[in-house]
This record gives sequence, C-alpha cells and structure tokens, in this order.
Amino acid sequence: MRRIAMLLACISASAMAAPNPLAQPTKLDPEWQAKTRALFKQVIEIPTVTGRGQVPKMAQLVADQLKAGGFPESDIKIMPYEGLPGDKTAALIFRWRADHSTKKPILLLGHMDVVEAKREDWKFDPFVFREEGGYFYGRGASDMKDGDVAMTMALLKLKAAGFKPDRDIILFLSGDEETMGRGATLGSTEWRSLTDAEFGLNADGGCASYDRNFRALGCGISTAEKTFQTYFFTAHNPGGHSSRPRPDNAIYDLADALKALQAHRFTPMLNETSRGYFEERAKQEGDTPLGQQIRRWLANPNDGAAADAIEANPLEVGLTRTRCVATMLQAGHADNALPQTAKATVNCRIMPGVQPKVVQAELQQLAGPKIEVVPDPNYIGQPTPVSPLRPDVLKAVTAAIQRFHGPAMHVYPVMQTGASDGSFFRAAGIPVYDVDGSWGISPDDERAHGLDERVPVRAMYDDVLHWEMILRDLAGK
Amino acid sequence: MRLTALILFACLPAAALAAPAKPELTPAQRTATHAMFEHAINIPTVIGRHRTPELAQYVADQFKAAGFPEADIHVMPYHTGSATTGEDDTAALIVRWRAAGKPSGRPILLMGHMDVVEAKREDSTTDPFVMTEKDGYYYGRGTIDMKDGIVGITQAMIDLKAAGFKPKRDIVVLFTGDEETNGIGATNGATIWREMLGNPEYGLNADGGGGGFNPDGSMAGFTMQTAEKTFAGYTLTVRNRGGHSSKPRKDNAIYSLAHALDKIEAYRFTPMQSETTRAYFAAREKSEKTPLGDAMRAWLANPDDGKAADFIEASESEVGLTRTRCVPTRLFGGHADNALPQLATAMINCRIFPGTDPNAIKAELEKIVSDPEVVVTRNDNAVSSISSPLRPDVTGAYTSAVQRLHPGMPVFPEMSTGASDARPFRVAGIPVYGANGGWVIVPIDFRAHGKDERLPVQSLYDNVVHWELMLRDLAGK
Repeated sequence: MRRIAMLLACISASAMAAPNPLAQPTKLDPEWQAKTRALFKQVIEIPTVTGRGQVPKMAQLVADQLKAGGFPESDIKIMPYEGLPGDKTAALIFRWRADHSTKKPILLLGHMDVVEAKREDWKFDPFVFREEGGYFYGRGASDMKDGDVAMTMALLKLKAAGFKPDRDIILFLSGDEETMGRGATLGSTEWRSLTDAEFGLNADGGCASYDRNFRALGCGISTAEKTFQTYFFTAHNPGGHSSRPRPDNAIYDLADALKALQAHRFTPMLNETSRGYFEERAKQEGDTPLGQQIRRWLANPNDGAAADAIEANPLEVGLTRTRCVATMLQAGHADNALPQTAKATVNCRIMPGVQPKVVQAELQQLAGPKIEVVPDPNYIGQPTPVSPLRPDVLKAVTAAIQRFHGPAMHVYPVMQTGASDGSFFRAAGIPVYDVDGSWGISPDDERAHGLDERVPVRAMYDDVLHWEMILRDLAGK
Repeated sequence: MRLTALILFACLPAAALAAPAKPELTPAQRTATHAMFEHAINIPTVIGRHRTPELAQYVADQFKAAGFPEADIHVMPYHTGSATTGEDDTAALIVRWRAAGKPSGRPILLMGHMDVVEAKREDSTTDPFVMTEKDGYYYGRGTIDMKDGIVGITQAMIDLKAAGFKPKRDIVVLFTGDEETNGIGATNGATIWREMLGNPEYGLNADGGGGGFNPDGSMAGFTMQTAEKTFAGYTLTVRNRGGHSSKPRKDNAIYSLAHALDKIEAYRFTPMQSETTRAYFAAREKSEKTPLGDAMRAWLANPDDGKAADFIEASESEVGLTRTRCVPTRLFGGHADNALPQLATAMINCRIFPGTDPNAIKAELEKIVSDPEVVVTRNDNAVSSISSPLRPDVTGAYTSAVQRLHPGMPVFPEMSTGASDARPFRVAGIPVYGANGGWVIVPIDFRAHGKDERLPVQSLYDNVVHWELMLRDLAGK
C-alpha cells in the first residue's frame, strides 16, 4: 500500500528551467543495471495478486538470488501462510548476520503482493514488463516491486563488495500487504524472534518527487499514519421480477447513500505530526493563498473553512481529517431480476487516535436507516502511535536523497494517509520509517493501484544505490 | 419466461346461467396425462444439464405411439449458450399433423418450451425435480412454467386423433429447449425452420394466457396474451483514472454512476397505449369502481392525461402496463477496496413498449443521464416487438373454450411485461397469441421461477380439454 508521495510545493523556486531528472544518467554501473533490470522484469511478470497463489514463486526467486549472491541458505526462510481465506501466500525472511554485534538489528520491510490489474483496463498487459520513454511499466512497478528489487540488489551489491555489517540486517517481505496484512501481523508477533529490531526501514513508497517543471517537491518520511478501515454499505430489498419494478430498489437506496457520502466532510483535526508538517509547509508557501490558509488553521484549529480550503488543494488531500471514499460496487444477481442486495465498499483513512467505531457511527448517520454499515470483518484497523523521528535515520536518508537529487530535495517528517505493513510493527513497538529512494514526477507518476503503473528507469537504478548508501551508513559503523 | 400476470380483479358475480355440463377427460385420459406430466417434471431440463433432448425424445415417442407418422416428428438438436447463461446441448421438437385433404388455410403453430429455470433442492420444500402431489396441487419446477402446457397440447392432440378428429389445416407443434435463457430455438423457428413449420399463419403459445381464481373462489379472469414488451439490456459505464484511495479525487466513477442512477429513478417514460392495452383497460375499468378505475377511464378518454397514467402505473396490479420501464438490476465497480475505482457499471433492464425501437431508448437514457462521463451501451441486439392484432377467430375460440370450462369467466387481452418465444415470430410477421388454459389461485400460486412452483391438480386436466376445444374450433373448419 504505497503511500502517495508528499507533494511539497516548490521551495526556492528558481527562475531557471530545472533539468529533467528523467534525463539525468544514473550513477549505478552498467553491470548492476543489467542485474537489477533482469530481476525487476522477472518479478513484475509474476502476477502476485491476491488469490492467484503466485507470491511463493516470487519469494523463491528472491531467495535464489540471495543464495546465488553467497548468503547462507540457513539464513533465508520462506514462510508460507494464508492471507485472505484461500489466499496461499508467503513471506520471505532473510537475516544478514553481523559478527559480534552489540546493536539491535535493522529491519528492512517490503511486500511482494500487488493490487489487481485488469488487462482490459490497461494499455498493455500489466504483467508484461515494458520499458518505454524512460519508464518501466507494469503492475507493481512503483508499489512496490521496485523497492523489493532495490533492497535485494543493494544487499547483493554490498556482499559482492565485501561489506560486513556491524549489526544484523533483516529483510522481511510480506505477501498480503494489499489485502489482509496478515504477513506483517505474523511478522510483528509470532515471528517476532526472527524480526525483532531497533527500528524498521520500509521500502513501500518512494519519498521524493518532482513537479512537472522538474522542481524538487521534497521527500517526506512518515512518523504517523492514518488508520486503514474498510466499511461495507449494504441495502437489502425483497427484489422480484424486473418487468415489474417496485417503488423501492436496493440500488437506488445505495445510490442515495453514496451521494450523501460524497457530500460528507469529517471534522478537521490537527495532531503533533501534522502540525509540524503544516508549519513547514506554511514557511514554504509564504504568502500564497494556501500558505495563508495553513497559517489561519494553525492559529485556530476550529477554523473549519481554512481546513476545508487546505483539504481541497490536490497537494494536501487527506491531511486535514479522516477521509472515506467509495471504492467498489456490487449489486444484483441476474440482469432480469430486481436486486435483493446492493453493496458498496467504502474505504476510510482515519486520523491517528480515532477509533474506527466512531467513524462507523458517523457513516451510519449519513447513510440513513435503509443502509447497513459494517466494518470489513477481515480487517479491523488499530490506531497506531506516532514514531519519533530518529536523528540517525533522518541524517542517513537526507544524505542519500540529496546525493541523487541535490540539496533542494528537502527531507521532512509527514503523516501518511495510507497504512502499510509498517503499522503492524509500529503497533508492536518497533518504530518504522518509510524511506525508499524511488521517485517520480508528481502527479503524473502517481499510479500505484491505478492504470499503467510505472517508475522512472533512473529511479529504479538510483534506488539500489540509495539503499546501499543507507545501509553502509546505518549498519556500517 | 412465464409471466407473473397479476390479475387482481375485483370479485365478479358468479354466473347464474344454466350452462352445458363442464367437459371432462375420461379416467384413461387422466391417467395418461398424469403419467406424461410426472415424467416431464422429473426430467430437470435446466440449462447446462443436457437433459432437454431426453424430454424432446419422450414427447416425440408419445406422438409416435398415438399413431402420428414418424416422418412428421422431428427432434431437432441444437446448441444454446451465452456468456451469462452457460451452455447446453438442447433440442426442439417439431410435429406436423397434416390436414386431411386440401388445407383450408396455412398451418396453426402450437408453441411451448421444454426447458425450465434452475431450482435448487435446498431452496425448495420438496425435490423440485420429483413431481409431488399434495393438498390439491402438483409441485415441481415447470408445473406452471410450462410443462403443463407441453402436456396440455400433446395430450389434446393425442386425444383428438384417437377420437377421429381430422384437422382441416395443418397443426404444427414447436416445443423449444432454451426459452428461459437464449431463445435460439424460437429464433430458429421463425427463420431457418420456418419452411419446415409450413410457414404458419399464426401461433398459439401455451407459454402465455391462462387465468385465475381468487382465494375466495371467485373468478379473477383469464387473459390472452397478444403483445409483449421488448426485453432490452443497457449498460451504464463510467471510467476514471482511479488512483489510491487514501487520496480521494474530486471525481469518482462510483459517485458519477450514483448520480446517473438517481436520475433514472426519478424519470418517467411517456405513457403509451396500444390496441391490446386499450382493450385491456377498457375491460378492466368495468369492474373497478375505485379511484384506479377512475384513472383508467380518464386515461382511456384522454391518452394525454399523464397524471391518470401515472396513477395507474403506481398501482401494484398494473406496474409496467402504461409505458416503457427501465430499472437497474446489477452494479459492478472498482477492483480493490483500497483503490479508487477505474470502472463502475450498472446494468439497466428495460421493458420497452411494443413498437418502440430499443435504440430510441438508448438515446433517451443518454438524455436522462446527460453526463458525458456516463456512457450508455446496449447489451443485446433486441429489435422492437410487435403486437399481434386481435383476430376475431382466435379471440372467439379462446373465449369460448375458457367459458365452456369456466362459465361466466371474464377474458382480457394482455400485454405482458416479460418476453417469450413469441417475440421472434411476431417480429417475423407471424402473430402469436398466448392462449394456454391453465389456471391458478391468484396471487399465491404465482411461483414461476420461484420457490415451490405448483399447479392445481384440476388445472392440468382442464388445460387438456381447453386445447382440444381450441383445436376443434380453429382447425376443424
């Protein structure tokens, strides 16, 4: 569940046209480019969608790469498990052992599964790897097989270079992050002895981005996250023969509730992380209308109009309050029968600290008595604590990001609007930071879960070096 | 697709006239009828079970055993199937009883279908494919839709032959094997088999007509089906770029679809009248001393009185009879609960007033929705159905047969809101009349397609007599 890159408006807007980052050469050498590309192609072409049973194949492929790189087989574990009912998936847990380490391990997090992608919705087959116009295309290109490949290649590259970590590095790749998060749940509980670490670095989401004029928008490192909770809106009706429409209809009842949902606005909320974020944003924005709105809201958190104006800005969607949106529809059982059931999936991202039950009550209120509102029984969200940003992590990530993108690419703490595997580890007491080194052009490349998902070719290659650099910094002293 | 014609007429005074004795089957004929019905019900002629050819052969054997020449009995295997119904190797039965001497006219076609709608054992009180006699009813799938009609026509022809009846014009039977699903048998009948059927002058369809008594024993009436609405499906499609559900976009395929559905809910098609529906309402209003009757009288006097038509349409007994009706029956949208929908679709099932082009309804739906984001497409190639003219000979024969069996029974012409095998024949210029003689208790026995389908025991035998009377009248001169 890739977090959408924070869009920080242009800071230090120079009058000069910025160079196209896509056109800059990568610093990764050709031999490792070829190895990276080969592995990326292989993993993109394994459709690791829930229910297709393909995740174990990818786990085996990554395991084989690590073995071929000289890591001992006994430190590579494939852990089969079931995600959604019937979804046979697996996690990969690999430990690179340090000699006589006194420090607790670093946990590298990622997931191998991807969101469904339908052939008919895409221009090209989402499970056939393509390179075109400076991009790699395919489902998972940015969410997050790029991160899986970057971490794996960085480990192999470090090993090949004779690097010896001064603390254990654990790679944990789950197999159902997009659906159940059961892998992360197991990883943070039952498998804790295999994953216990001082902190986690999550590759699920490149932090850096550029706008369309190639100006650096910054890199946000998450320290807090919204709680993920899906609800179902269901309307029931006796149904009947469609030649004799009844005055009431489950589909019409549901449509009314969806219109109410579309119009609904949750109450704006500020927390410590988002306050810090918006203080930074206010400085960057200066006297723009958005900057003024942010200052008004920070001065008076009850100024709902200011918060609404901020929320309506495409750069700040989801940062001022809980948001819920309809994502799926299913109704009826035959073309010629009146529907007996109409059901919508409503996905919510709840402000940290707010209980999902409170949101459920608010949704029920707006949907009205004809609609049954229930949380997805397969996944009950748990509000998670804010991770304090560690200076060593901030320093290492800043150094790596600015090596590839220059000092204009500022690194900031942010609140994520999505949840990821990191939330389970956070809830279990392991702080997690999303620090992947992939990047893109915003908003054009924000296609995670969407159509024609892609990642810049250079971003894929840079990401290998990014992880190599961070690991040398945090596990090499 | 047997119509659930809801004939909730007010109680009519029972006829006090001295009537000739009600004609009855002999005990031997009753036994033969019972045996044939039980055999037919016990063959589960559901699509995909490949059992319809067995029933076709069985019925063919009954004709042969009764002395109909083998050369005039044809079991016609054919394939049926579509994406939504599944596939089947099915069969039609064609039997031609040739006129003695020079025919007095082109053949009369007798129509029915041997296939039935699925019925699940667990949804039924008794096994739906084991005929069960209980409390004065025969229970089983197909008892009223429409193996009663198959047996009624077959046994009537066998009895007439045994009695030495010699038709003055050919009587041709066409029993199809996929009316409930794809209607390929009927389409073949109206096209490639038309010559084999002797290019009939008109058809009498046992899958239409019939009548009922109220639970208090009073007569509700019989109907003869002369028209049916056109069954046509449409799809509303909304596409969107989608994206991550943590960052809701302003536009959303599901919300756009919800607004479109709302407009369809509020829309009323223009009221229309035809020869059949005028005759129907003219007969209907006589027994309605209610505000509903007033509305019928007002509308008949002034077909532009939209308010009166709306009032009639809103009555539970008249739904669908005053205009084209469209209703959403299915919804599909989205591809993952945590992704903004890229696609949302609604199936709109329309029952179009005879004579109106389904393409015109597509244009009307586009106008109702009036949103360029919502694309309207057709799901089928249905062409406008055509009403059959009220022929005095057929109307007279039907009325006289009904009233021989049920003296004083009112008879109405009917436009059905569903579709049947009659459609391709009417479109091809062969008028078809739904003229079965079965009866039920209304509305408690309207169980076609539903749970615990049943037929009053006496209705089975009355229907054989009904078809004998009709054929003596129409083919005896």
